[in-house]
Amino acid sequence: MRRSVVVTGAGVLSPLADSPAGLHAALCAGESGFKEIELFPLDGLSGNGSGPRRAGEIRPFEPRDYLGERNLRPIDRTSRLLLAAAQRALDESGWTPELRAEREVGLMLGTVFCSVKTIAEFDRRGLQLGPSHVSPLDFANSVINAAAGQAAIWHGLRGVNSTISAGEASGLLAIAGGTSQIRGGHADALLAGGAEELCFESFLGHLRAGRLCGPDDPLPFDARRGGFALAEGAALLLLEEAAEAAARGARVFAEVLGHGSAFDPLETAEGAAQAVARAVRIALDDAGITSGDLDAVSVSASGSVAVDRAEAAGLAAALGTSGAGVPVTAIKSMLGEALGASGGFQAVAMLGTLGDGFLPGIRGLERTEEDFPLTGAGAGTRRVAVRRALLTALSADGHACAVVLGAPQ
Amino acid sequence: MEPRIAVTGLGLVTPIGVGREDVWNGLLAGRSGFAPVESFDTHRFNVHLGAEVRGFEPAPYVRRLDPARLGRASQLAIAAARLALEDAGIDSGAVAPERAGVAMGTTSGEPREVERLDDRIQAGEVDRVGPEFLSLYPCHMIAAHVARELGFAGVNTMIPTACAAGNYALAHALDMLRAGRADLMLAGGADAFSRITYTGFARLGAIAPERCQPFDRNRKGMIPGEGAAVLVLEPLERALDRGARIYAELAGYGLSCDAHHMTAAHPEADGAARAMERALADVGAAPSEVSYVSAHGTGTPTNDRLEILAVKRVFGEAAPGIPMSSIKSMIGHTMGAASAIEAAVCALAVAEDRIPPTMNMDDPEEGLDFVPNVARELPVRMAMNNAYAFGGNNASVILRKVGL
Amino acid sequence: MSQDATEIRARVKQIIANVAGLDPARIGDEAKLRDELKLDSLSLLEIGVDVDLAFKLELPDEQYKEIDSIPDMVALVQSRLADTQPQAQHQAV
Repeated sequence: MRRSVVVTGAGVLSPLADSPAGLHAALCAGESGFKEIELFPLDGLSGNGSGPRRAGEIRPFEPRDYLGERNLRPIDRTSRLLLAAAQRALDESGWTPELRAEREVGLMLGTVFCSVKTIAEFDRRGLQLGPSHVSPLDFANSVINAAAGQAAIWHGLRGVNSTISAGEASGLLAIAGGTSQIRGGHADALLAGGAEELCFESFLGHLRAGRLCGPDDPLPFDARRGGFALAEGAALLLLEEAAEAAARGARVFAEVLGHGSAFDPLETAEGAAQAVARAVRIALDDAGITSGDLDAVSVSASGSVAVDRAEAAGLAAALGTSGAGVPVTAIKSMLGEALGASGGFQAVAMLGTLGDGFLPGIRGLERTEEDFPLTGAGAGTRRVAVRRALLTALSADGHACAVVLGAPQ
Repeated sequence: MEPRIAVTGLGLVTPIGVGREDVWNGLLAGRSGFAPVESFDTHRFNVHLGAEVRGFEPAPYVRRLDPARLGRASQLAIAAARLALEDAGIDSGAVAPERAGVAMGTTSGEPREVERLDDRIQAGEVDRVGPEFLSLYPCHMIAAHVARELGFAGVNTMIPTACAAGNYALAHALDMLRAGRADLMLAGGADAFSRITYTGFARLGAIAPERCQPFDRNRKGMIPGEGAAVLVLEPLERALDRGARIYAELAGYGLSCDAHHMTAAHPEADGAARAMERALADVGAAPSEVSYVSAHGTGTPTNDRLEILAVKRVFGEAAPGIPMSSIKSMIGHTMGAASAIEAAVCALAVAEDRIPPTMNMDDPEEGLDFVPNVARELPVRMAMNNAYAFGGNNASVILRKVGL
Repeated sequence: MSQDATEIRARVKQIIANVAGLDPARIGDEAKLRDELKLDSLSLLEIGVDVDLAFKLELPDEQYKEIDSIPDMVALVQSRLADTQPQAQHQAV
């Protein structure tokens, strides 16, 4: 008998809200998480008059509101976001400090950069002041598993601890990986999701790669789309082995029924779509369901011209006729592209939908292009009784991941 | 029943050589990979040694992609992947792409790309930063580039758990194969030499000024290195069916987290001990069944002391009789590649009943057998590979003779 | 006490407060870094780097490793400044 994995809590720090309930309400109300960037100056970036100036920046963010009075100096922004989301998830799921001292909770974290800002600032200080005057504390945060390590220390998470990087698919892959760990008997409970901060280096990189939309908000799936807006945050599910969760009387919000992943080595639109289709088929198979059993889908579409379309094509292929027309949402229309955190946002947001039957719309969607392969994408919030939900992610570099969530039994 | 997984190919790019045969012969002979750092100027440092992969040419290995459009770690990783497939007798074109995956570990990804970015920012030349930063820098590009080079369309994961990353990648690959999500996995690790990494370890006072002497009483620190290793993993049944040469079974793993300190291990080596115990439990073996331990053994006073403590805790009375050596005494600390290279060494140890020495031992610590200075022949039924990282990430993997 | 020592102590306390995440006003003049302020080795190393930068001391790590209290740090800074900038030294009353 395969061990079942359930969700007993969640925590989120996002541009729209710092609680799962708050996030769900804001998404269903069609709120925009985008604001003028204040974390770093944009001057000096050419083309800035017509260029992007907005992002899903979390503002205000006061870590003390979540983390109390302990010393935060050694903790950078990425880690602070993660620590805060973790605190909330642990609180909601009833994993008290006492319980954590007795039994292990792990962490599977998806992130693209962890903190490229910390890495770059550490390096630049060395260039300016010489190698003997770099910051030791910054060096400790310059490894890509730093945030996961800081969270383990802060919250006493002694279980399996790993970091996964797969571009925009990192968060869902971390949830998939966490599920595998529990099924495989390597863990009974762990936090799984992602974290990413908004910073100058990431913004510059994405700007120069031509991935960002202009000054307006991103329009996932819309024919007018022209890129995405960056965002930041942290979002975690508390995943637990079902029998253990039941034994401690935990409330169950959802079950992780299945997952699948694949990669496109061809760097073509068809290759990317095929990777998505395969990931979805593997996930459905793993969950023991067919595409016709799905009630809702949350995609990672962000407003990217090609990647949105490839994800839609792959999803449509996997849904086939029996799943065609299933309601689809794209929450990056409101949250933006938070890279490693995005998959976590999708998962936490879907818990809300599983709970009250409202699926957020795709903000700003007026019409898709003529031959758009996917039906079911809706602009407005809809009432949908959801027993089985699918989350998908496609990274700009060809990583595809799919996770099936089920309503609690 | 979960399938048993075999190691059928090894690809190694290291400071002492390239290719399984060259590297293994070098390790058994005690070859040193240390030399003054060449890839950047160390005159402002008070240490100067590194273990770089000198004279590496990507062209023979990077055939489908353009090496000029790859970061160094990706080049090293592709080289190791090609060597591994060749060693396994597998033609990448003959593999079912959807069932072939890649899992790689790293500490820094492609740090030279952020160094380039920083050079530009420092010089006030932000305008000169182009699209290459995003196509080269993110660490997931290493696994992506390996898969693009080989046409592998299965699972693709980068696990950047620093100095234990290679073992984590092997563990992940093992999970994928056990769960039937792949028929073939390339798993390993890669890291490129970088001023960021060197500066950081120098700032911590962790770099040895002259010699890397793991487990020696006079040890003074580690010496940073670079490299890559890839292991070909497939279900044992398939390996037997195709008449593959099987080095060892990748039998199991154990992971843990210290949750104690970012750069210093738990003072009672709690996490390290748990990782070893979990690995043994995963395999269903008693500690006394381990024939050889490939240590993390960086050569820093603290790591080695705590590692000895952990081994004594786990192995108890059996500890003194189980040889444990550190190849970092020869190739330095190759970061994310380290535990992958060391796992390959364990596979070779199991296959050939030979173990590499810990070099530079003048005055070994007491109580354990560190295989000082001279390689040894002995039956190796089961080998354990240990790795410990910043952030408290610990990982142990176990390889054993097939048929046990 | 000379003006220098007071100023030095205030700056040293500020640096330590930054690293320790504490209000400098809550750090006693005689505070012990490890035992009272619970600073670990990484934080102590950071403080050494910051003090060295703030006062342009150019001292090797070994000197900072000996320091375990505010008075010791102040004394180290004072003596180093006296060595390198004898003209700037105030006469003690």
